[in-house]
Amino acid sequence: MSTIPPVFSYDYRYDDNECETETSTKQAEVEDSIGDIYLNYVDPSSLAQGGVIDDSKHKLLRSRHEQFIHDSIKGLSSGFAALDSSQPWFSFWCLNSLDILGCEINQQLRSRVLDRLSRLQSPSGGFCGGSGQLPHLAGSYAAILAIVLVGGEAAYQAIDRMGMYAWLMSMKRADGAFTMHLDGEVDVRGVYCVMVVASLLNIMTPELVKGSAEFIARCQTCEGGIGPYPGVEAHGGYTLCGLAALDILGKTDLLRLNRLARWMSARQLAFEGGFNGRTNKLVDGCYSYWMGGAFPILQKALRRARCEGYMYDRAALQRYVLACCQDRRTGGLRDKPGKSADLYHTMYCLLGLSLSQHYVGVEPSEQVSDTASVYSVPVRMMQWGAMPASLLVLGMRSNMVKPVHPVYSVPYTPLANFVKYFYALPPLAEQLV
Amino acid sequence: MSQQEEWKDVVPIPQDDGKNPVCPIAYTDEYREMTDYFRAVMASGEVSQRALKLSGRVIDANAAHYTAWVYRKKLVLDLGVDISEELAWVAEISGRHIKNYQLWHHREALLELLLDPKQVALEPQDQRMRNPDIRRELQFIDRVIDQDSKNFHAWSHRQWVVRAYGLWDQEMAFVDTQINQDVRNNSAWNQRYFALTRNQAADAFVLTKEAADAEIAYVIDKIKLAPNNESPWSYILGLLLRHAPAMLYEDLLPSINALASDKNGALAVVSTPFYWSALVDIYEKQAEVLDAEQRDAVKGLAREACESLAEQYDPVRAKYWKYRKQELTAQ
Repeated sequence: MSTIPPVFSYDYRYDDNECETETSTKQAEVEDSIGDIYLNYVDPSSLAQGGVIDDSKHKLLRSRHEQFIHDSIKGLSSGFAALDSSQPWFSFWCLNSLDILGCEINQQLRSRVLDRLSRLQSPSGGFCGGSGQLPHLAGSYAAILAIVLVGGEAAYQAIDRMGMYAWLMSMKRADGAFTMHLDGEVDVRGVYCVMVVASLLNIMTPELVKGSAEFIARCQTCEGGIGPYPGVEAHGGYTLCGLAALDILGKTDLLRLNRLARWMSARQLAFEGGFNGRTNKLVDGCYSYWMGGAFPILQKALRRARCEGYMYDRAALQRYVLACCQDRRTGGLRDKPGKSADLYHTMYCLLGLSLSQHYVGVEPSEQVSDTASVYSVPVRMMQWGAMPASLLVLGMRSNMVKPVHPVYSVPYTPLANFVKYFYALPPLAEQLV
Repeated sequence: MSQQEEWKDVVPIPQDDGKNPVCPIAYTDEYREMTDYFRAVMASGEVSQRALKLSGRVIDANAAHYTAWVYRKKLVLDLGVDISEELAWVAEISGRHIKNYQLWHHREALLELLLDPKQVALEPQDQRMRNPDIRRELQFIDRVIDQDSKNFHAWSHRQWVVRAYGLWDQEMAFVDTQINQDVRNNSAWNQRYFALTRNQAADAFVLTKEAADAEIAYVIDKIKLAPNNESPWSYILGLLLRHAPAMLYEDLLPSINALASDKNGALAVVSTPFYWSALVDIYEKQAEVLDAEQRDAVKGLAREACESLAEQYDPVRAKYWKYRKQELTAQ
């Protein structure tokens, strides 16, 4: 942890070399609004020395965010019809945000979520985005993680595990990727959703995983990040998806990790402190997870120890989330100042905050080398954990939120319970190759 | 709809929400009604003009309704809808839904029906470029990229069209236009790699000396315009590291050193982190081929660049630069 006080300086703003383009104009607008906010945290008496940012005042507005989530659980306005095909996500965003914040999730809410999700389960396996719709990989991913958070055997038993396996196999393609739904689009998200769901439900087989790691490796661009499909631009969201899926498969070595590290570290913006998702794009609070969650996985892939620390500025990211992404008026978190808060950004900003507060990792000496056995999957999954010695909480002590798993993006206890249940069931195959 | 003679024979299927649902959406009456009828239409497998029309209304109200898109495609096929008309309809609604996934996927499926890529591939490329359906598609993509120059889906879709119909010869010209409009548009720089390599697998593509020289010259030209622009640096380093690592120190290094000592622009070049960062990558690669004594000297230069970055030019990435320095020491 750095002992040099953070300096507020316009020197860190983007230098457009007096060559203005659409990119630099938009960048300057965002920096203006963020500069106005950060200036509030500068001790005026320090301005003569460049302006030292006082980080002690940052406060996570827990009760406002909790209220925002509970209001959303009660009901969403008609504008949310645009998310009418992403319904399992609502449950996941709400429950996970509440859990990360340490709020109570009462039994009634758990049952309501379970009832909602059960109605979205397709008779042929998988979960649908909405009533009467087709099962969808992203919807299934969100539904399974929401059920992880609901917890309890009744919830676990509601999942049609073998139906899920049959349906996932029907989405599989010869190139190792998956279509998001029947006749749907194909990209790295699909592989990630499948690997998360299959590893959680203990339904991984050689047939299911064949070629998938190689498909992801083909999506790494010459810049170093991962795109959705071979040839397409590297992007923060797909990078987390690809890297997390490879961690589940035990195959992060297929990537050019040095280029990946270079590209990932370049995503943190010098003045804003938050991450963007592509080269020369704007900061967005959601990448606090998509990138902030990728760093611990990169750390493990490079076999770096805790004492070496993450390769990004954790305090700067927390400053961005706490100072710029909280909507003080409505509660909830957001992309950037000037945007409205929503459930998606609330959860991803909180995940990013958690992953930058807690150092989560697997020490190199403890890494499991046999990744081909199905039994290594839960071991490798549950090896991840927060290491208290490297805690870094910016601002008030009460800002600390629960540690989360970088690959599965949920707190550890519900994850461990879920895995314990499903890995007591017989696997579908013992070896993955 | 319940009042309309046309729909009298259909019993709408309400959404199955349960008693006390979480996050219920306060649908407008119109949305609720059209999706209730649409569920009924899908459940009975109805193939009709009215079903087609209804699917269009549902999609325009919620373009992420992937099931409606899938059903619509089935209707287009079963009803023998004119594919060009369907493409025109997608173009018409696209302005409202340009960040949507399904729309682009639907277009790809339609194009495949209209123009069999295998057939088209047999024609000479200039003839393909004159094909009115291909021209229309490229113009459609142009319009979207004009509005939103980094639209991820539009660029991906463009790659699909170029790949499917083998339109490689003209792609670099399009990339140039886009880079000239905004030299920081990284989607265009990514497309440059795609066009140059013709999307061949990383280990299959051979970068000729001539082509690499041309790319270095192009990149240097763009760096001169605005040295503090990550895209050209990222592009050329990525390209050479993958396909011609020796050219990093034999060709790129002298070029960027010339920039850094040019009396008109040196300051802007040496104050951008991308210059120092490039030196680290280049020296690290060069060290691999040198004898022990020279290797240590070059590695020393790389470590110094890491220090400058961590302390002066790129402090937000101080942890990363420390890691790179450490790697240079350990190797």
